[in-house]
Amino acid sequence: MPAGPDTVGDMTYAIEAEGLVKRYGDKPALDGVDLRAGTGAVLGVLGPNGAGKTTAVRILATLAAPDAGRALVGGYDVTRQAGKVRELIGLTGQYASVDEKLTGTQNLLLMGRLLGLSRPAARARAAELLARFGLEEAAGRAASGYSGGMRRRLDLAVSLVSRPRVLFLDEPTTGLDPHARGELWDAVRELTADGVTVLLTTQYLEEADQLADDLLVIDRGRVAAAGTPGELKALAGGHRLDVRPLRAADLEKAGTILGAKAVDGVVSVPVHDLSEPPAALRALDDAGIVLAEHALRLPSLDDVFLTLTGEHR
Amino acid sequence: MTTAISQGLTLAWRSLIPLRNSPGQLLGMLFQPVFMIVIFVYLFGGAAGGDRAGAVAYMLPGVLVQVALMSTITTGMNLAADIGNGVFDRFRTMPIARSAPLAGRVLADLLTLLITIVMSMIVGYAVGFRVTTDPLGALAGLGLVLLLAMALSWGSAWIGLVARSVTSMQGISTAVLLPLTFGSSAFVPATDMPGWLSWWMSVNPVSHLAGALRGLLTGGPHGSDVWITLGWTAAFLVLFVPLALRAYNRRVR
Repeated sequence: MPAGPDTVGDMTYAIEAEGLVKRYGDKPALDGVDLRAGTGAVLGVLGPNGAGKTTAVRILATLAAPDAGRALVGGYDVTRQAGKVRELIGLTGQYASVDEKLTGTQNLLLMGRLLGLSRPAARARAAELLARFGLEEAAGRAASGYSGGMRRRLDLAVSLVSRPRVLFLDEPTTGLDPHARGELWDAVRELTADGVTVLLTTQYLEEADQLADDLLVIDRGRVAAAGTPGELKALAGGHRLDVRPLRAADLEKAGTILGAKAVDGVVSVPVHDLSEPPAALRALDDAGIVLAEHALRLPSLDDVFLTLTGEHR
Repeated sequence: MTTAISQGLTLAWRSLIPLRNSPGQLLGMLFQPVFMIVIFVYLFGGAAGGDRAGAVAYMLPGVLVQVALMSTITTGMNLAADIGNGVFDRFRTMPIARSAPLAGRVLADLLTLLITIVMSMIVGYAVGFRVTTDPLGALAGLGLVLLLAMALSWGSAWIGLVARSVTSMQGISTAVLLPLTFGSSAFVPATDMPGWLSWWMSVNPVSHLAGALRGLLTGGPHGSDVWITLGWTAAFLVLFVPLALRAYNRRVR
């Protein structure tokens, strides 16, 4: 077993995984996933529920061993050098994993003491993090009484006690209101400014668009696409034409004419040439379909998602 | 090794904080023996119409044993809760000794058990119970309760580690502990019982523990009870410690 990192002197990537496979029973949760995150970058992992995002995070955070493939975090192998990896990482899970019976301060002190800080050092670190996440007022109250946003901030603070170089955020804003979500985004931006590498899983395309330098779309355990947000948007084509038939009964017919599936009462198709929309609208008109509205717009990550996974978010 | 011990102690401290944060829990620990004594001495004892001092002398050791054994449920429940809500996973991603979370839990529960036993004795003294043997014998009796309860906490830990949820953990343990505690001579002597019940009461380790404690606190024959209780304690430890450790290692791998 090598004592140091496997890639000394070539630490371009803080997180690197190749061919990750994980089966639960005979059902593969991950079926050959490659991923990479550069030091100090934010890698966004997108995918519908059950796509394998959480499984990937659990492997990278040393909580589960892959059935095949390998992963390095900070250059250390997550299975063979799990102890080294644990010294580098922080994890904020999908379900806030703070001890609800403890106060904010006590949760932070617990982490500090476990990590070997002296009592005064642990107190100082706790105070610093409470201030940074605006939790000073709630510091003395049990976490069970915190709001969703406060709890998530405490969870993030707890995972930062060790000053991790690589941070895994597994759906950190699921269930938060827009204000709380924005606060968490700011916190993530501050961390990356300090050079922390972040792997973030999310179901929110806006979140990925806001935070991630690179994106990975996972669907049914496989990588459906990878690239920068801009590159992925380009995948969905240039402009898009959205049409909404007045009568719901016409929806299917409109879809057939335009060659796309209707989602939420709207048929959306990529536009390759600006002569296409008038032709498309004429074709619908000729078929006797009355439109409630039509619009030409630039693609969003939603479209990428739809194109890649066939699922609308 | 020393870091593993200090991490275990830190995690034990963590498990005891809730007692300090919410004194209501301590009050609950006091309430349970009071409740049991009121039921068995004043309610049932009153109906049976015996003398009250005699009833207290017979019942208190039984109540103490019952309260101590029921408190072992918390070991498994707290482990199941930590696993269910992600606290356990957080510990597993940290560079700490693998054994620390389990060691911390067991240590904290041992201390809680000690508090429970002391509280039951205080309640006993308040309603007129008196140790009529010597302090050393009394301490030995309480130590015996602590030992058997600790052995059973390992069983509780095992169930907590393999159970799918806190609720199922609670259900399983209650189903095991109720016949153990109530189907014993902790509260009623095993006379005038149907054959099968008196047979069960005579093999039930809780009967022997209650008998041993009664003898050590208030006198009377108890020699064989002490040895049988120690034998059961050893058997439970031999059975449950490896099972719990195996389940734990599976969880922390």
